Amino acid sequence: MWSLLSAALAAWRFHDYKPSPVTFGRAKKWIEQFKGEDRKTAGMLIEKVVYLSEKTTRDILVQQNHALMDRLAAVGLPPDKLVYVQVHDAGSSSPVMLNLLRDAAGLDRLGCHFVDAHNSLGLNKVTNEVGEGALIYVDDFVGTGNQFCKERQFAFQSVVGTFSEFLLVPCICEEGIYKIAKEGVEAFAGHVHSKVERPLHDNSHVLDQDAKKRMREISKGISAKLGLGYHQLATMVVLYRNAPNTVPAIFRGSPNQAPFVGLFPRWKDLPLPNQK
Amino acid sequence: MPALKPTVQPQIPQLVPTGSLQHLDPQDVKPNPNNPRMLFDPDQLAELKKNIAEHGVLVPITVYQPKGQMKFSILDGERRFRCVRDLNSEGHRDKSGQPLRLPANVVEPPNKIAGLLYMFSIHEYRAAWELMPTALSLKIVMDELGVEDNKTLSKFTGLSEPQIERCKKLLEFPEHFQKLSLDPDPTTRIPSNFWIEALPVINLGTTEIPRLKNLGRDKATEKLVDKYRARKIKSVIHFRRIMESYELSENERSVRTAVLRRIEEFFLDPSLETRAAFDQFVVGKKRVQGAVSACAEFIKQLQGLKLRFTTDDDERAELRKALQKVQEYCKSLEQVLRGDDDPEIPKD
Repeated sequence: MWSLLSAALAAWRFHDYKPSPVTFGRAKKWIEQFKGEDRKTAGMLIEKVVYLSEKTTRDILVQQNHALMDRLAAVGLPPDKLVYVQVHDAGSSSPVMLNLLRDAAGLDRLGCHFVDAHNSLGLNKVTNEVGEGALIYVDDFVGTGNQFCKERQFAFQSVVGTFSEFLLVPCICEEGIYKIAKEGVEAFAGHVHSKVERPLHDNSHVLDQDAKKRMREISKGISAKLGLGYHQLATMVVLYRNAPNTVPAIFRGSPNQAPFVGLFPRWKDLPLPNQK
Repeated sequence: MPALKPTVQPQIPQLVPTGSLQHLDPQDVKPNPNNPRMLFDPDQLAELKKNIAEHGVLVPITVYQPKGQMKFSILDGERRFRCVRDLNSEGHRDKSGQPLRLPANVVEPPNKIAGLLYMFSIHEYRAAWELMPTALSLKIVMDELGVEDNKTLSKFTGLSEPQIERCKKLLEFPEHFQKLSLDPDPTTRIPSNFWIEALPVINLGTTEIPRLKNLGRDKATEKLVDKYRARKIKSVIHFRRIMESYELSENERSVRTAVLRRIEEFFLDPSLETRAAFDQFVVGKKRVQGAVSACAEFIKQLQGLKLRFTTDDDERAELRKALQKVQEYCKSLEQVLRGDDDPEIPKD
C-alpha cells in the first residue's frame, strides 16, 4: 500500500523530469528495489524531495530578479546598467536558466546586457561600455559554491569599472550561500537548502538512525565515490531539467540504470539510445 | 585608436571621501577577487597579523560601496583586512572583548579609469597571470585618456615601460587571436608570450617573403598557432632563434637567402619544429659564453682603473654619461632576455 501511494505521489509531482519522466510504473519499480521497512523510508524520501518544475523554476527566477531589479533601480541602476552573466558553457544549466529568465522577464526589451563568463573579451567590452552597474550571475543550483567561485574568479579579471555582484539562482545550499557571501557575492535564491532538510546528510535527524544508516549503505553500494553525492552533500533538490550531482546515488541509480534503477537519473546516467 | 590630444595633460583620478572614518565589521567587507592570497608573502602576513593582534589596525583601509551592494569593496588594505578576518575567526578579541573591527576610509565608487589604474597595481605583482587582460585594460586607458606614450602610461599605471611595450604588441593582434589567450582552460589557452615572441617573426615573414606576404598576416599567424598546438614550437622562446638566425646572416648573402627559405618552410610545413629548423644557423652557446666573459672582463677593467677617485668635474660628467649609456643598454638587454613560457603550459 505504501509503495503504491508513494509511487502515485512521485508520478504526480515529478512527471516533467526531463532526463527520464517519472511515471507511476517507474516510481513503483524504484520503491520495490527496497526491502521491507526500507520501502516506507523510500516513500518518506520521496516526500522530502524539493522538486523544482519548469514553471516553479521560471517563477522563482522572475520573482527574485524582480526583487533585485527593484533594489538596484532604487540606488540608480536602471536595467541598461545590468549585466547578466552565464557561468557555464552553452548547453549547460546556467545558459538555460538565463534564457528562461530572459524570455520570461523580457530582459532584452529592457536593455539589459548578456555575456558568457568564459568570453573574457565580451565581458571586458560590455563592462567597459556600462562602466558602473551590477553583474548578475545566473545558475540553476549551487552546492558547495566552489565551482561558482572558480568561474567568477576567472570572469572578474576582465571586468572594467565598478560593479556590485549578485547570484540569481532557484536554489542554493547553505554551504554555498556561506561560501559566496564570504567572497562578497549576494545570492537571490528561491530556496536555501539547509543540511537538516537532507535526510541522508551527516547533520540531519529527519530519519531514525537505523533507517538512515541502511539508506546510506545502499547509496554507497550503488556508488562508492558519489554515494551521498558530490562532497557528501546528500541534497534533496531536483530540478526539472536534471538532478544536481550532489543528490544521493539512490536517486540517480547505477550508471546505465543497472542494476539499480534511479528515480532521477542524470542525463549521463542513462544508457545511450540504440543507434540504427 | 582615437586622435591624440597632446595639449591636454590627463589627470590621475582622485578618490573622493564620502564621510568620516568608519569602523567596519570585516564581514561587511569583500575581498578583491583579483587579489588572491597567493599574492602575499606568508611571513610578512604573519608578522602583520601579530602586529595587529597587539596594537589593532593603525592605518585605515580604503573601501567603497558598489551601488546596490551591502558589502564594501577594498581599494587599499587587502592584507590588513585578511589579518583581521583571520584573527576574528581564530577567536581573537579586542581589549573590550569584542571581535576586531576595521577602521576604513569610505570613498565614492571610483570611476572606470581610477578602478583600472588600481587594478594595474595588482596585476603588476601577478607574475603568473596572463598579460592579455592587462593589455585590454591598458587599451581602455589609452583610449579614454588619449595617451599612447610609454613614459606617461607607465606613470599612470605603474607598469614598467617594457611591460607596456609587451601589452602593445598583444594589442597589435586582431581580436580573434586575442581571444585565444583568454581561454579559461590553460591546456588549450595560447599564452600571451606566444604573440609577443611571434610578432617579429610574423612581421619579418610577411614583409620579406613573397609567399607569406600573399598568404596574409592572419593566415600566417594561424599557421604558427596550429604549429604551436601540434607541439612543433616547444617553447615560445624558440621564436628568438628564428630572429637570431636572420640577424646573424646580415653580412652573408647566401646564408640570408637560406634563412629566408627556411622561415618560409617553417610557416608552411606543419611538421617542421623550430629548433630542428634553425639550430644550424645559430651558434648561441659560443656567443653567450663570449658575452659572459666580456661582462666579467669589463667589470675587472673598470675596477682596475680605480675610477672612484676621479675628481675633475668634466671628467666625472663624461664618465657618468658613458656609464649611464652602458647601464641603459644592459638594462634593456636584460629585460629582453627575461621572457618565459606560460607557467601553466605543459612542457614536453
